[in-house]
Amino acid sequence: MHIPDGFLSPLVALSLYIISLIVVAYSGRRYFREGGDIYYLSVMAAGIFAAQMLNWPIPGGTSAHLVGGALAGVILGPFGGCLAMFMNLLVQCVLMGDGGITALGANAFNMAVVDVFIGYLIYKLVMRMSGGKKFVAGFLAGWLAIAAAAVVCGVEIGLSPQFGYPLSVTVPVMGTWHLILGLVEGVATGFIVSRVEVIGK
Amino acid sequence: MRRSYLLILILVLVSPIFGVIGAEIVGYHEPLDVAAELIGLGESEPIWTGVFPDYTVPGIPDVIGYVISGLVGVGVLLLPALLRGRRD
Repeated sequence: MHIPDGFLSPLVALSLYIISLIVVAYSGRRYFREGGDIYYLSVMAAGIFAAQMLNWPIPGGTSAHLVGGALAGVILGPFGGCLAMFMNLLVQCVLMGDGGITALGANAFNMAVVDVFIGYLIYKLVMRMSGGKKFVAGFLAGWLAIAAAAVVCGVEIGLSPQFGYPLSVTVPVMGTWHLILGLVEGVATGFIVSRVEVIGK
Repeated sequence: MRRSYLLILILVLVSPIFGVIGAEIVGYHEPLDVAAELIGLGESEPIWTGVFPDYTVPGIPDVIGYVISGLVGVGVLLLPALLRGRRD
């Protein structure tokens, strides 16, 4: 899901830098104003960074690793989750070259904004409708939010002529692929949120 | 709570089994990098390759480089927690 340099048109890349920075800044305000502790951001970001290093190789030359945005959003709340994911993406980009530096805004939008906020909303909704079934809520949140993030990623690269494939290709490919891969994300998210204390509201 | 530090450490230590060894067996790349290669964009022109390009330390075997870069990444992210502790 990490977009490298060269995939995005300057307009798409720049717009998403601006949007992501606004959401991250707003999340910072809300998280700390509501008494959030940087300790949890730090541990969550490090945990997600480590978890993302576990690439599950899939025969055929690809792999899946957890993204963890929905998980972070559920455990820390959407604002804390957004900040923790952004910290992770920043270190991945700057230290490891994982995700292009010009695509950091887009990657942050997909994984620190869409995955986190959609995941959080789905979790809350399913918790309410199911009468508090944490595993089911976590599963659906992790699964569907990653698919949503993948669709948005497909839109971004589809809108960029640099990539050479139109939206009608990029969106269905990214979406269906992550609906399948996302099942693992869903199971992991459901498993973890039903076993740890949820800090966010 | 120190359990979370321990868990993170274990994740990094076992990560090369997946991220390096398993990846070599199946010839793995990031899905989007594969896509780039297919259409001839190539991963050849990153503007910034990072301090540890793709979780490697130049001149050091990949498995060890993966762990070292992982430990540095985790260490940087954990700095606020380690320096400030938990406030409650």
